[in-house]
Amino acid sequence: MASGTEEDLLHRAYMDLLKNEIQLTARELPSGSFRVDTIFIGGGTPSLVDPALITDLMSEVRASFHLSDEPEITIESNPGTLTPEKLLAYRSAGINRLSMGVQSFDPACLKAIGRIHGPEEVVENFRQAREAGFDNINLDLMFSLPGQNLESWRDTLEKALELAPEHLSYYSLQIEEGTPFYRMIQEGTLKQNSDDLDRQMYEEARALFRKSGYHLYEISNAALPGRECRHNLKYWSMEDYLGLGLGSHSYIDGQRFSNARTHQEYGELLGEEKLPRVWTHQNTREDEIGEYLFTGLRKEEGISLSDFNRRFGEDLQEHFRDKWHKINEFIENKQLIIEEDKLKLTESGIHISNRIFVELI
Amino acid sequence: MNSYQQYIRNFCIIAHIDHGKSTLADRIIENTGLVSHREMKEQYLDNMDLERERGITIKLQTTRLIYKAKDGHEYIFNLIDTPGHVDFTYEVSRSLAACEGAILIVDATQGVEAQTLANVYLALEENLEILPVLNKIDLPSARPEEIKLEVEEIIGIDASEAPLISAKEGIGIDEVLEAVVAHIPPPSGDIEGKLKALIFDSYYDNYKGVVIYTRIFDGTVKKGDVIRLMNTKKKYEVTEVGVYSPGPMAVARLQAGDVGYIVASIKQVADARVGDTITLENDPTAEAFPGYKKVQPMVYCGIYPAEGEKYENVKDALEKLQVNDAAFHFEPETSTALGFGFRCGFLGLLHMEIIVERLEREFDLGVITTSPSVIYRVVMNDGTVEMIQNPSNLPNLLLIKHIEEPIVKADIMIPKEYVGSIMELCQDRRGKLMHMEYITETRVQLHYEMPLNEVIYDFFDALKSKTRGYGSLDYEFIRYEKSNVVKMDILLNKDLVDAFSMIVHESKAYARGKFVCEKLKEIIPMHQFEVPIQASIGAKIIARATVRAYRKDVIAKCYGGDISRKKKLLEKQKEGKKRMRQFGTVEVPQEAFTAVLKYDDNK
Repeated sequence: MASGTEEDLLHRAYMDLLKNEIQLTARELPSGSFRVDTIFIGGGTPSLVDPALITDLMSEVRASFHLSDEPEITIESNPGTLTPEKLLAYRSAGINRLSMGVQSFDPACLKAIGRIHGPEEVVENFRQAREAGFDNINLDLMFSLPGQNLESWRDTLEKALELAPEHLSYYSLQIEEGTPFYRMIQEGTLKQNSDDLDRQMYEEARALFRKSGYHLYEISNAALPGRECRHNLKYWSMEDYLGLGLGSHSYIDGQRFSNARTHQEYGELLGEEKLPRVWTHQNTREDEIGEYLFTGLRKEEGISLSDFNRRFGEDLQEHFRDKWHKINEFIENKQLIIEEDKLKLTESGIHISNRIFVELI
Repeated sequence: MNSYQQYIRNFCIIAHIDHGKSTLADRIIENTGLVSHREMKEQYLDNMDLERERGITIKLQTTRLIYKAKDGHEYIFNLIDTPGHVDFTYEVSRSLAACEGAILIVDATQGVEAQTLANVYLALEENLEILPVLNKIDLPSARPEEIKLEVEEIIGIDASEAPLISAKEGIGIDEVLEAVVAHIPPPSGDIEGKLKALIFDSYYDNYKGVVIYTRIFDGTVKKGDVIRLMNTKKKYEVTEVGVYSPGPMAVARLQAGDVGYIVASIKQVADARVGDTITLENDPTAEAFPGYKKVQPMVYCGIYPAEGEKYENVKDALEKLQVNDAAFHFEPETSTALGFGFRCGFLGLLHMEIIVERLEREFDLGVITTSPSVIYRVVMNDGTVEMIQNPSNLPNLLLIKHIEEPIVKADIMIPKEYVGSIMELCQDRRGKLMHMEYITETRVQLHYEMPLNEVIYDFFDALKSKTRGYGSLDYEFIRYEKSNVVKMDILLNKDLVDAFSMIVHESKAYARGKFVCEKLKEIIPMHQFEVPIQASIGAKIIARATVRAYRKDVIAKCYGGDISRKKKLLEKQKEGKKRMRQFGTVEVPQEAFTAVLKYDDNK
């Protein structure tokens, strides 16, 4: 286990590399071409490191890129790792949005998923964030956790709403192959929540958020009107984004690429004055259309048919003429809906979204 | 024999699977200096990617090598590589007929195996000189002295001077080459005589047409000659003759004793059949070679275009595959469940798997294959006989007097400690023990008569697993026998899906039906409704299982780094859907058909 200072050294070393990448990238980009409108500092848990590093990072970013006049700059944090000092440092660096990985207000659930914080830390950190001047805060919440019942979820929702955050994210626990939870399910020591319960929890959240005045603007994101996450909206609108740091992903001019995932490879490539990219894919028109659809349909406002035409040079119906009968089936089953210019998923369509997306890619 | 023939050696290498046949062939090629180390692609003679992947030889190849022997003379070695799998016995026998001798490789850690014996018998039938060679002596478990004795006892040939080699490590190769010179007889035959040449393989080349691999026994053949193939009774003009050295190399003529190729504007390999005799149209030889036979398929299955795949594409691909595979047969058929497709005949299950994989890989086709079946001999009440391959074509039971199924004789070699469990396995597969003998103190050979349909599915796998890999099998069709077989159908959501119909022995029907229902339950994805799966014989339901109604998607996040991952996932699901076929209201993946075959009695 690394000591405080050892860890600190690692963080600094990484930050140096990251600054390196930022400089190198800025040099490679045609000057003035990239106007930064939103920034998301994630990972990883940025709130774990010395706040001076974050300040440093922001300076580097400002020095290397053109920022717009009122950028949205978010930092991700875990409850229990925040302090007033850190929060103030973030504010001073120009960070104006905070995301907190709350997951649950139920101590039992938090323990089950290995979190170090309890509900008290959440409330405390939230209060501190407000005091530091954050007026745009997101809480991440997870449902279908092991041992979580509807009561516990409802309680979490209510406690989250009590704090009145500007933004809420809510997703189902994903059990991936190779993880301890997966193994436990195979062994039978962990029982997965039933589909029905999962659906109930999801719908309960949406109902409560709606009632409290939140705009359910995306499949798993809710916000007070005007406080939708500008950064994430770019993902779902196929706008360009640049990823910097270990394992980050980017999408620029129809090309997707990602960075090295190990500190070693990352350092090696940068040491050779190379951009630390290890994977790249130039989207074909088919790729573009497919991604446009499965990301865009996540938004409550759906896909604009005229925008599709503008972007791709043909009508959606024309493009899918060979399999329109399949899409029609979804429309008839009230899982997809075309309302004037918009194609959207309905509430029931959301639950089979993957089946629909498979037909659209 | 003349001075030219004196310095020729025509031989092949025979062995049980994995005993090192291909590796030795590679070493021989390397050591005769015709192909350098650098040029050697591992296992040079296996030229199909599929073969390399599976590590088995499928297509024959022949190579002419020059060896400078210790006696100072240069010898022409015509080395013929042969498939080892039990499905291709006929091809093996014909390539043996082209040789004077055979190097018999015996694995010094495993000893004599069923396939070894089978191939030795084939070689002895052709009067070949057998040169035993013990391979893998580099392994610590090698027991050369013991194995030499085994060879002498079981096969009855002297192995005292057998070279001890390691093909992998390149040990003893020179000894083998000298032994070939010393012990394998040169060819004889009259160069001036009437042309008599054997076709031991053929393949289709896009530019040349059919290329015949041939061994000349008498006479001479050259470009411009008009040849006659004696069994198919067709004549052709020769456009090229040559040898493989290692690639094709045209020569002026091929004469008695030579091994090489003939090109003669032949359009399909089916016209240049393995085992046929080539002679001159104007001056034909009196008699064709004995031993020619039309290869009979043993195993059939249905091959249908998958959802979204064009029938024409599948037809084209099958035609192209047939061009180079005289043993592969197909004809159109229809299925109420699957639509228009083909009933295909193969030499065995491996042959079938290879063809299907080639369709998917080389031709990039999505296909659905139905359960393999054998050909049943159906005797009708009015005395007529129908040969039924497709279970769905079984006539109305009321019109049938009785049904006969093909029986094979199976030779199984196992270490003695497995005798009990293997006898149980064979009994369970309705085998009749004919004979058993101890071929050495530790090895037993069992001779069974068994129904072919009990052998073709996973009998071999079961044998291997129960004997921890030490068991070996060789089988051959012997006759048809009356049997209590019934037609079992599968219903999905109450609809009969004829693609799953199978003919099964009455005593096995329940167990098989239950197995298929359970397997399908695992494989068929959840639908928006419950899917009952039923097995029936006639109107009687004998087994059932149910697929519960489907799963909703998990609500997940999708940010910058998630998009490509999600895309991949969706693409994978899309691929999965391609392998799905709609049967009435139910979607069934292609895997379902092969999965219901992996039937383990003892699970």
